[in-house]
Amino acid sequence: MTNFDAIVVGSGAGGGVAAALLAEAGKSVLLLERGRNLSFDAVGRDHLRNQRMPVYGHNAGPDIEGNPRTLEPDSFPIPVGRELGNLRLLRPHEPGYQNNAACVGSGTRVYAGQAWRFMPQDFRMASEYGVPEGSSLADWPISYDDLAPFYQKVEWEVGICGDHRSMTHLPAYEKPYPMPALPKHGLEALGWRSMRVPRLINSVPYNERPGCIHCQQCVGFACPADAKNGSHNTTVPRALRSGHCALRTEVMAQRLACSEGGRVVGVTTVDADGHETTFTADVVVLSCGAVETARLLLNSATSQEPSGIGNAGDHVGRHLQGHYYSGAVGLFPDIMWDGVGPGCSIATSQFNHDNDDIIGGGFLGDEDIVTPVTLWKRHYPPDAPRWGIEAKRYMRENFRRISDVIGPVQEIPTPEARVDINPDLKDRYGIPVAHLSGLAHPETVRTAAFMHERAKEWLWASGAVKVWGQPPPRYLSGGQHQAGTCRMGDDPASSVVNSFCRVHSQDNLFIADGSPHVTNGGFNPVETIMALAWRTAENIVNNW
Amino acid sequence: MLDNSQLRCLEALLDTIIPPDDFPGAVDAGVADYLLRQLAGDLAELLPSYRQWLGDLDAESRASRDKPFAELNVEERTSLLNGVERGEVTTDWSVEPEPFFRQVVEHCAEGYYSDPTNGGNRDGVGWRMIGYEVRG
Repeated sequence: MTNFDAIVVGSGAGGGVAAALLAEAGKSVLLLERGRNLSFDAVGRDHLRNQRMPVYGHNAGPDIEGNPRTLEPDSFPIPVGRELGNLRLLRPHEPGYQNNAACVGSGTRVYAGQAWRFMPQDFRMASEYGVPEGSSLADWPISYDDLAPFYQKVEWEVGICGDHRSMTHLPAYEKPYPMPALPKHGLEALGWRSMRVPRLINSVPYNERPGCIHCQQCVGFACPADAKNGSHNTTVPRALRSGHCALRTEVMAQRLACSEGGRVVGVTTVDADGHETTFTADVVVLSCGAVETARLLLNSATSQEPSGIGNAGDHVGRHLQGHYYSGAVGLFPDIMWDGVGPGCSIATSQFNHDNDDIIGGGFLGDEDIVTPVTLWKRHYPPDAPRWGIEAKRYMRENFRRISDVIGPVQEIPTPEARVDINPDLKDRYGIPVAHLSGLAHPETVRTAAFMHERAKEWLWASGAVKVWGQPPPRYLSGGQHQAGTCRMGDDPASSVVNSFCRVHSQDNLFIADGSPHVTNGGFNPVETIMALAWRTAENIVNNW
Repeated sequence: MLDNSQLRCLEALLDTIIPPDDFPGAVDAGVADYLLRQLAGDLAELLPSYRQWLGDLDAESRASRDKPFAELNVEERTSLLNGVERGEVTTDWSVEPEPFFRQVVEHCAEGYYSDPTNGGNRDGVGWRMIGYEVRG
């Protein structure tokens, strides 16, 4: 069968939701995923090859050979990957690649599931702060109130634990979270406005799966108890249970198939053997992540849209953003380690907005549980011994006394931070690869420096005897929280999709991932991606 | 992959980077196994440099202390490596001594502190030492 009512490309946070809602509405759905359906054992527990610490590879795709990207050398502060002419050639696990996992569930297969609603101000950044020079800061065409009902659906139907009473930075919730927050531990956040970290994790048994067992290998790995709620065990199974959804894995979308008139009629795919198939559908939903969705649109040029579908305004691939992470590390006289996964349970929203002379801000939280080799590589004090008996003693005495505070910084978008196509380099499927260029806006770097100071303040006030770390340098950001490359707006000249995430130039092409985010909040974006996908899919069904 | 003298030099080097005390040193914790596996895999491109650098280290040891590196005691090895770390060497090295040494230290720590399935951290000894308890 090659004809469906709808094709959803990508089975991550947004694609899972879209597939579930369309299939449950009785539409025949083809869900395409370039990666594999990975078991717990296939993901494994390799501390040097996981999505959190990809020293020599990673554990949830894409395969490190055959899926390259290129990068402008100026977009990263140190040489990364290999030289390719004037560019850097990157493999998926290397810094600067901006990887998102490629497997059923994508990043939701291995995340730690921090599940934040954005704040009302996050949807109207330009109105709140004005537009700094060189930035493309803009308001979303929708507000917090438009998304709130869908946040609630994600919380109840995908499964989020948390304490709604502690979310005092948000308008009152209509319903509490369906599960209580995970146990509280770690650093208390001074007198700052603090809350329990909501998680896409079962704190107690929910949806016929068990609760968290608080293991020590959470972020970057699959869950041994199946208590983490990702697309792979929530929305994708829902889609499949409906009887209306076919899941095809290890199939890569090559380009959108279009009629002679330039209307999208389906998707042309390539499998591992190089075999091409064109699937047709009335509706196509792209959920490939901000880099790959932009790449697919740009690789699908037609005579009507010669610069790529949806790209008449030259916005596809621009405004790439993710989250700068800013924080600091501290050494404490007492043992801080309690071994309770997933870690980070306390956060403060004191600095997300209303900072003096700063555009936006971000939240800060204590850290997700770290592995020893991660502490060695990322959190070790710069002046501590690195070898010899002193270094061994330092690790032995202090592994349990080192703790860090960190959080995502709301980025100020710029059109120069960009995904384009490199026509000279093809991936294993023969498809031109993504080329990345540009840098984060200087205001992002300034906010990150401000948040670094707040993190140090928190650590000192918590009794740290030594505090270290640096604010991040300027580089091109994207990563697992990638967003912005198909920005949402009412005006086709300044945006790619409308307020229901439909590509302006097409009546049947929708986007359900982080790409439509005009800005990306100062919070992990997954709950917003899911909620927005929910709103988009519900609108598709209601107007079918 | 490495000849006998290179292997002896490597083991002495690893046991200077993470020496034995009441917890095993690098070699007894399997770090040499970890590194040899990596040099046949992810780090294969570094194998020629490893061979040369180990040879350079031995030559430096013979020139300044009249013995191959593996026959020095731990104080002598530590003192020699302190010099290497500061770039204070007396012989002509074919691989720049200090950056490569930093890389070896990193590989050694990876073997000692990452998961035992990578070949090092035998029986989780590195984790037991620092109190990283894996339950579940």
